[in-house]
Amino acid sequence: MIDERKLEILTESAKYDVSCSSSGSGRKNKPGGLGNASVGGICHSFTPDGRCISLLKILMSNECLYDCEYCPNRRSADVPRARLTPDEICELTINFYKRNYIEGLFLSSAVFDSPDRTMELLCETVAKLRKVYNFNGYIHLKGIPHADGALMMRAARLADRMSYNIELPSEKSLKLLAPQKSKQSLLVPMRGLKEAMDGDRINKVRKNRVLPAGQTTQMIIGASPESDGQILKLTEALYRNMDLKRVYYSSYIPVVKSNKLPSVGAGLLREHRLYQADWLIRFYGFNVDEICGENENLSPDYDPKCAWALRNMQYFPVEVNTAPLAMLLRVPGIGAKGAYKICEARKFAKLDFDNLAKMRIVLKRAKHFITCKGKFYGSESQSQIRASLMLEGARESQTQLSMFSDSSTALSVLTGEL
Amino acid sequence: MKIFITDGGSYGFFTAVFNAYNESACVITSDENVQLSFDSEVVRVEADGEKCARVQKKIEACDPAAVDDILLVLRSCDSLKEQIAFEYIKRLIEKKSPISRAFNLPEVIIFDELKNKVTNEVHKMTGFLRFMESDSGAFYAPYSPDNDITDLLMRHFAKRFMNERFVIHDVGRKIAGIYDGHEWIMSYAGEAEIYLSEYETVFQTLWKKYYKAVNIEQRPHEKQMKGYMPVRYWKFLPEKKI
Repeated sequence: MIDERKLEILTESAKYDVSCSSSGSGRKNKPGGLGNASVGGICHSFTPDGRCISLLKILMSNECLYDCEYCPNRRSADVPRARLTPDEICELTINFYKRNYIEGLFLSSAVFDSPDRTMELLCETVAKLRKVYNFNGYIHLKGIPHADGALMMRAARLADRMSYNIELPSEKSLKLLAPQKSKQSLLVPMRGLKEAMDGDRINKVRKNRVLPAGQTTQMIIGASPESDGQILKLTEALYRNMDLKRVYYSSYIPVVKSNKLPSVGAGLLREHRLYQADWLIRFYGFNVDEICGENENLSPDYDPKCAWALRNMQYFPVEVNTAPLAMLLRVPGIGAKGAYKICEARKFAKLDFDNLAKMRIVLKRAKHFITCKGKFYGSESQSQIRASLMLEGARESQTQLSMFSDSSTALSVLTGEL
Repeated sequence: MKIFITDGGSYGFFTAVFNAYNESACVITSDENVQLSFDSEVVRVEADGEKCARVQKKIEACDPAAVDDILLVLRSCDSLKEQIAFEYIKRLIEKKSPISRAFNLPEVIIFDELKNKVTNEVHKMTGFLRFMESDSGAFYAPYSPDNDITDLLMRHFAKRFMNERFVIHDVGRKIAGIYDGHEWIMSYAGEAEIYLSEYETVFQTLWKKYYKAVNIEQRPHEKQMKGYMPVRYWKFLPEKKI
């Protein structure tokens, strides 16, 4: 049986990894087996920080050879250390799973002994779960940079998703803060996995496909000086060239004191704006250049879609009853669901503002950018529109404020330093 | 005005639709405490297989998917569910073709929202249901959902826990789904007495420790937690029990 204290140490060490999703894989149960995966993913609980628990997120060990500046588990840190055996991890996963606490396992580890040895033990754990315990639930495995490529491929045939974390948004920052990791040690395996997935797709492999739920990555925001524009450019490249399913952002929290790191956190508003922009790139047909210039930051006052619309008023207002879907998606206050509903409903009848309100379109924002049957209810003057959207933005950042427990960060939001 | 009172089942409802269809103004409900006005005439509906089949056939002729949608809505805890489904059926038969996406119609929007409440709760419960291991090795999950969804959950868990024996118990409605490792059935279930396995409390404790350790204290956001995981579900979650 696993020791309580070990579980605490290795959970504490794993919790800053933001990825939690259990979606993207339709793995089925087999006769005599336990578990399956749900394509949409399932959240099993929520913690007081508002994040979901979907997978048992745990490190195999937090004994690390590396000395990454930002990491609470770096070699030079004085923290309690622990290590689990593959069997301990399997037993815990199976018992949590049978009680429906979790959707599967998210296994990661600090680099102990050597990268190959670490990856080998991670691999062994996953293989045991699949073959000895006949477990068909979701497994997300963290890739260990510098580990042998054959080990990585073996793991990829067993897991549903893998991730190599980019960690920092530029090579320069990586060199400064995580000197033992290099851009190549992260991008080469990422590309290898992408090519293996492409191969399976081309050869129409159905059984034991490589990573049915694809790859993701994560980077820390605010520990290094990159602008939002640079971060988003990198994000876009990762989606386009590496076919990543998700890029996660983790706003920097100063858990480690270092003269190379800022002493205050980046704040959740910046992270929130980056995620909004990320959604615009993936689901709303935007290019990064439209949202944010190379060396610019996203506006804290408006969400990125509002900001784009305000810069491009020449396209508005659009007529809800005739505008193409791609244009509806660009209207502030109309989301992907709303745009779908509008497109379906207008096949039956011409829509007016009342219809839109009933469909739960956010008219407070949308009214400035649309007409219904030729009627316009928004404000004519640009400055009034800005003012009213800004008011809404302020409400948003106020609720954001309550999330900061650190008053100095809260102040920097108020004064616009963020 | 006529008020058709059904037994709450779907046969009773479709029979009531048959009887009520040509009334100019009427209400269908399974709520025994419905408010009566001075001109109300209460009609108790006995389920009638033939009438029920005719109504379903007519609905299917307009939209093959509509009967399933209606059956979902009838699982709702909303006391107006029969009336909402009835208005939807009337509109469907008037239009003679699928209206499930005609979001310009108020009847469709309200019907769609009720249906989503039911399917959303099914999805949430696939995550929030908690099993305990009994001393016989079977698993037991008590819960108290808003809507009548136990059999829908049984389908999900019978695939997932194919080799286990388990019971999902809706303690509010006093019904349970029982899976013996091969097939599942629904049954009446009042009170249950469970003897826990020797390791059950150990894993519950480990789970509570995990829950506490994985939280990031520097980023409190209770409002969001409660939005995603409503407080009324907490009493069955070991991690939220004190």
